Amino acid sequence: MTVRRIDVRERVMARNDEIAADVRRRLAEADVPALNLVSSPGSGKTTLLERTLDALGDELSISIVTGDVQTQNDADRLAARTSRLVQAVVTGGACHLDALQVQHSLDAIDLADTRLLFIENVGNLVCPAAWDLGEAAKVVVFSVTEGEDKPLKYPRMFREARYAVLTKLDLLPYVPFDLDLAVACAREVNPELRFFYTSAISGEGMEEWFTFLRHFARQDVPVGR
Amino acid sequence: MHELSLALEVCRLAESYVEPARLGALRTVTIEIGTDSNVEVENFRFCLEALLSAPPFGGARPSLIQTPGTDLRIAWLEVDDDSPPN
Repeated sequence: MTVRRIDVRERVMARNDEIAADVRRRLAEADVPALNLVSSPGSGKTTLLERTLDALGDELSISIVTGDVQTQNDADRLAARTSRLVQAVVTGGACHLDALQVQHSLDAIDLADTRLLFIENVGNLVCPAAWDLGEAAKVVVFSVTEGEDKPLKYPRMFREARYAVLTKLDLLPYVPFDLDLAVACAREVNPELRFFYTSAISGEGMEEWFTFLRHFARQDVPVGR
Repeated sequence: MHELSLALEVCRLAESYVEPARLGALRTVTIEIGTDSNVEVENFRFCLEALLSAPPFGGARPSLIQTPGTDLRIAWLEVDDDSPPN
């Protein structure tokens, strides 16, 4: 048997990353920074975005791409809060959004009338960490009803993220969640992570999040703790 | 699903490196899997074996090597040049 060896040395994600680079270029040309919201299911991404649209939807001309395995429920909830397009991506079983889906979504979004783009990823702390969507930064959303050691269990997601939004702080009196321990676990895998401490229900910490978004849309100084 | 979509991308890449008439003679696909690549190795192997056993492939064997880091990379392909064309 004559075996011919073909050296490849090519990353399997290379095609996705090429498309993500195109998304990033298009967003940069339009001067639109994008935040990719990632988390486990039920952490409060959609509720955080609802409150964000209520407060800043018009001021920051926010557009949204939202991904779900099935249903357009999240997109419908968000569309009720804004006159701008909420682009729904139903992945049909896939556990993450990919760059091609975001690239197609951009075709439907009026980037000239957008100052800030949110990408609400599929709820999953594993796979979305590996897929570059062309975002400016990943934001990991982390609720107090989860375990404090989530960052240690899913280190890549917390390592890939630049910002973390702790949500559901109004439930802290009712759950055995050690906030300091959770932050310490996250900083163990990513010392640079900047935190926001929020409750979309009580409004706690939301002003700091909004202030950050105003700065982020202008692409100036970083905010967070 | 994650592993299946990655396995499909491996097959697409293999098809871009091997002449169409020789895909049935592809014997080994060697892949480096980063320990932080979020790939479940046995699930990935199952998906690759299923895809590589169906035309245009002819039963190529996935050879999976664990490496440090986050990259998932096709290292090399081995083709049996003595086998008849597809």
